[in-house]
Parts: sequence; C-alpha cells; structure tokens
Amino acid sequence: MSGSLVFSQFMGGLTTAMFLFLIASGLSLVFGVMRVINFAHGSFYMLGAYLAWQAVQWVQPSGGGFWLAAIFAAVAVGLLGAVVERFLFRYLYGRDELYQLLFTYALVLILGDAAKFLWGVGQLSVSAPPLLSGSVQILGTTQPLYSLFIVVIGPAIAFFGWYALNHTGVGRMVRAAQMDREMLDALGANVGTIYTGMFVFSAFLAGLSGALVTPIESIVPGMDVLIIVQAFIVVVIGGMGSFWGTFWGSVIYGEVLSFGILIFPGFSLFSVFVLMAVILIVRPWGLFGKPL
Amino acid sequence: MRLGLGVAAACAVVACAPLCAHAAGTIKIGFPIPLSGPTAVYGQPVLQGAQMAVAEINAKGGVLGKKLVLLPRDSKANADEAVRLSRELIIKDNVDFLVGTLTSAEAPAVSTVAKENKIVFIAPTSKSTILTDAQHIHPYIFRISSNTDVEGLAGATEMARFKSVKTVATIAPDYAYGRDSINAFIKALAKLRPDIKIVDEEWPKLGEADFTSFITAQMSKKPDAVYCSLFAGDFVTFTKEAKPRGYFTAIKNRMVDGAEVGTTDEAKALGNDYPYGIIGDAYDPVVWVGNEPAAHKKFITDLKAFTHAKYASGWSIVGYQSIYALADGIKKAGNTNSDKVSKALEGLTFDTPVGKRTFSVKSHETFAPEYWGVMAKEAAYPFAIIQNPELLPTSFPTN
Repeated sequence: MSGSLVFSQFMGGLTTAMFLFLIASGLSLVFGVMRVINFAHGSFYMLGAYLAWQAVQWVQPSGGGFWLAAIFAAVAVGLLGAVVERFLFRYLYGRDELYQLLFTYALVLILGDAAKFLWGVGQLSVSAPPLLSGSVQILGTTQPLYSLFIVVIGPAIAFFGWYALNHTGVGRMVRAAQMDREMLDALGANVGTIYTGMFVFSAFLAGLSGALVTPIESIVPGMDVLIIVQAFIVVVIGGMGSFWGTFWGSVIYGEVLSFGILIFPGFSLFSVFVLMAVILIVRPWGLFGKPL
Repeated sequence: MRLGLGVAAACAVVACAPLCAHAAGTIKIGFPIPLSGPTAVYGQPVLQGAQMAVAEINAKGGVLGKKLVLLPRDSKANADEAVRLSRELIIKDNVDFLVGTLTSAEAPAVSTVAKENKIVFIAPTSKSTILTDAQHIHPYIFRISSNTDVEGLAGATEMARFKSVKTVATIAPDYAYGRDSINAFIKALAKLRPDIKIVDEEWPKLGEADFTSFITAQMSKKPDAVYCSLFAGDFVTFTKEAKPRGYFTAIKNRMVDGAEVGTTDEAKALGNDYPYGIIGDAYDPVVWVGNEPAAHKKFITDLKAFTHAKYASGWSIVGYQSIYALADGIKKAGNTNSDKVSKALEGLTFDTPVGKRTFSVKSHETFAPEYWGVMAKEAAYPFAIIQNPELLPTSFPTN
C-alpha cells in the first residue's frame, strides 16, 4: 500500500466525514438542547439541495450563481425551521420519545412528498462553482478543489460552534437550557426563544449542507432518508448531544468506511456497523457522551 | 329522512348503471410500479409509455371491441408492497392482467402472485435472469427487456473492441442486478478476449451518496478500462465525484456502462458534467441523429405531446411495448382468458417503434438488444447523446 494511496483514501474519508459532520451537528445540537430526536433533519438537508438547484435555475440557468444559491437555500430552510418549531415542535417538548419519533417521521413523509410535488421525481444536478471546479496535485494524488473546500469548512463550523457555545452569552444560555430548563425559565430567561434560535440554526446548517452537497451528488427523492441514517450513526458513535463527539464520530465513520473499502472490498458498510456495535457495547453513551 | 336515503340509493343505482355496463366491456390491467422514492425517476416514464399505448389502442376501438383500462399503483420499489398491491388488484379490482414493476426485487415476487392466480404478468424492465430461468419460469410470466446475460454480452462486445486494453476493473451496485450483470460481463469477456485480466471489482451499495473512496481505491489499481453498472442518481453522483479526480482521464474515457446511462434522462441530469466519450446504452436513444426509423420518429413525437415534455424519456418505450405485446396476445387468443393469452404470447412476434420482438417459447423473453454507442456532445442539444446508436448484441440464445 503506497503512501499516495493511503493519503488519497484518507482525504476521501475526510471529505465524507466533513459532510456528515455538517449535517449531523445540527441533529446533535437539537437533541442536546431540546431532547428531541429530529428525524426530519434529513428532510431539511434535502430541501436545501432542491432549493439550491432552484435558485441556480433562477439566477443563471447556465450554472452560475452557486454561492448565492447556497446562501439562499440555507436561509430559506432556516426560516422553514422557525415555522416548524413555532407551530409544531413546541408541542413536543417533554413528551414521550415515541410521539417525537412518530411526529418527526410524519414530517419526513410530508416534506418528501412536497419536494416530489414541486420538483418531480427526476434526478437533478448542479455544477461546481467555476472557482472550485478544478483540482490540484498533492503528494502524487489528484484532489478536487471542492473537496478541499469542504475539508476546510467542516472544522471551521465546528470551531465556530464550539466557540459560540463556550465563550458567548448566548452559548451560556444554551448550555443552561441543556442542563436545567425549569431553573433557567424561573430565572426569567426566555427559554422559548432560545429553543427557536437553536432549531433555526440547526435547520440552517442542514439547508447549507444540502446546498453544498449538490456539486458532488445527484439530487433525488429519497436522499433525505439515506442521509438521516448515516447522520444518526455518527451522532450515536460520538455521543448524543455532544458537539465534539459528533465531529470525531464523523471522522471515525468517514475513515473506517474509506479504508474499509480498500481493505475489505464488498464489506465496507459492514466495518462501519461493527465499529458502531463495538462502541455501543464498550461505551453505550458514545465516545464523548455522558452516561444517562 | 328515510325518503331522502331512498332517493339517494336510487340515484346511486342509476348513476352506477352506465358505469357498470361500461365495466363489462373493459379489459383491466393492474400496473404496480414505483411512483415514489428514488426509482420513481424511471417508474413514472415507464407508466407514461403504457398510458400512451392504452390511449392509442382505445382510440382505435380497443381490443376485441373492449377498452383497455390501466390501474396504476405505487409499489415504492418494494417487493412486499408490490405483492400486496398485486393481490389487491386481482381480488378487489378484478384485473384481467398484470403489467409493471421496475426492479428485480419486485418482479420475481409479483411473478409468484401471477402464478398462484393464473394471471398473465408482463415485466417491462426487470433484467435479473432469475425472473425466467428454468426454476422460475411458469406459463404466466413474460419479460420485455433483455436480461443481465444479454446486457453483459453486449457490454463485453463493446469492451473487446478496445484492442490495447489488457486490464479491466468493474464497479456496480451491490445487489442482485449489479452482481448478475458483472458476472455475465466477466463470463462473456473471458470468451471474447481471454487476454484481458480483471484487476479490481468495487461494490458500492445501491443509492451510495459518496463514491470517493471507491474511486480512489479503483484508480490505485490502474486499470486500462472500466465496466460499470451504476445507473440513475448513482451514476450522476459517481461521475461528479470521479471527474475532478481525473478518473476518466486516467482510463482515457474507456468506460462501458450497460445500465441505461445513454438515456436522455441520465444525460439531461448531468448536462455538461457528463463524461463525454464513454460508451453508454439505452432502451431507446430518443434523440436519434442519423438514420432514425420513421416509426421511432413518430413514437417520440407522440410521446413528447402525450407527456408535455421537451425531451422524451428513454424508459417509456418498455411500458409502451408491454401494452402492445399484451394487446396482440389478447387479439391472437380471441379472449381474455389468461391460459389462452399465455399460449398466444409464446412465440408471438409484435411490432414496436424500434423493430420487431419475439417472445421465446421456452423462457418467455424477447432477449431484446439495446442501443449502444459513444456518448458525444451534439451542438443542437444541451446534453450528451448516443452517437450512431448500434443494436447489441447481434446474437443471443433463440430457444
């Protein structure tokens, strides 16, 4: 196994990992703060992809205006998140997990059908922005610029999230809400607004990752369900509700999958699930989670 | 109140009367097909092809003086759902025949329902050989598309033409269709070009979102050419990830893909990201530059009008052929009894916009060749099209 092969496998795994992290971080945040497992998170991601495609068609059918489209998609999905939280999720806090699962799953079906109604069932595709459509030679391998961009943007968002949570006033409020909601409420803080804000941020991240994935993946009905399973595995490996846990969970998932493909062709998915099983046996609360 | 109910009931009877009388003069065809989920991309155009055939036949007075009625149901590409819907169509809706299903998961499952209920079932697209092999064949199952053996032979024929290629790698989705098609390709290639070595096989899952690691692993084996069975959204994602990594340049565009990536559906989705220069195939090239048969030209013009689409789909033709094959079988049998129609379909030759097809007596399939060729850029279209579409393979089992 040559050095350049190991490097290109590693970079491939890292690209996978950073995409997963962008998506899973929102899922993990909402669970950590609100204790809601939002299965519709994958649907927000899918809507981000469709909206980005739609915006590219509006701006410039020849395929320009990608960045504008990505921001539009992320903001639009964030706004949808606000509506969903204000009018629907609000009634779920503190309820049994079963209700949450049923409710968010219903949202998956509704949003999935809505996307099909609006954009049809065909596969859609967005070209990479001209600035990042090339590639560079690193250590004897060809690395697409767009993948490198994703590898940079992932840790940047992780750092931003960590900083905001630990070193800002808003972050302190969020952590307080995570620890003791009633007490924070009694102290006069507006917990409702904090929850809405967190949910919008989570939806924004999902919409952004959906938009950013369009240059390297086809946009098809069903992409919502495929991604939520992976994002869920990552969150479980890392520890439900732990931000860094989700980050390292993604890296481990991406690299195990990538080297699994090389070492056990045909059994790569198997290796990921073995990993998850082992981690859950040894640490049922995940790598960075706390025992419940 | 009581009077009101009575009037309502009487009205219902009166309202039903013409409908019921009408129903006696119809031939009902149940059509389970994926209309939601990732495979609906192809389920929908197959259904549209069938709907257009039904509309055409009914406009000419139907079959044996009866109108055809299509009852489409969403199978979600799920075998259990397809079976449940087929049973319901037979028991509740009293359908006379079944046509439909898309994947090789659904078709063999529905085939068993057809066998139990003694109802003719025509599968337009399922390619897995197990649908009609010696263990699974029964009087009521018929297949329109080719099977994986035919596809693998055609793919190997194209691959064998690359004289300088000595090593080939494969990549295919890890389920029945992918496995069958790669096996058939390798078997056929071993006969045509024993000097070629298979150096790598990659098996991403169906619906894989990230092919990066498969791509780099395959490139590290440095194959001269690649045989690929990825299709639909998977092929779009794969291409977008492979192209910037220099994958297609490394193999000098010597890729052969036998999974209908030559259709307008696929080419439209990729636009200018399409890996021009690879060899693709299609049930129907749709955009046919060169010596296009007149019947095909008319079919596409009608299809575009029928579906209100700027460019037609390359999948509609198999739905269209299925209905015409069934209609010809009913005409030949002289009634709608499935035992008679099954006998009539065996060895039946029927006309289609892309030439005649014949159901073999032994395995009830047409061994339909497909159109293959280099995927090229044509100035008049914003997407890749098959250059000089060629029917392959040229010979197959005829029993």
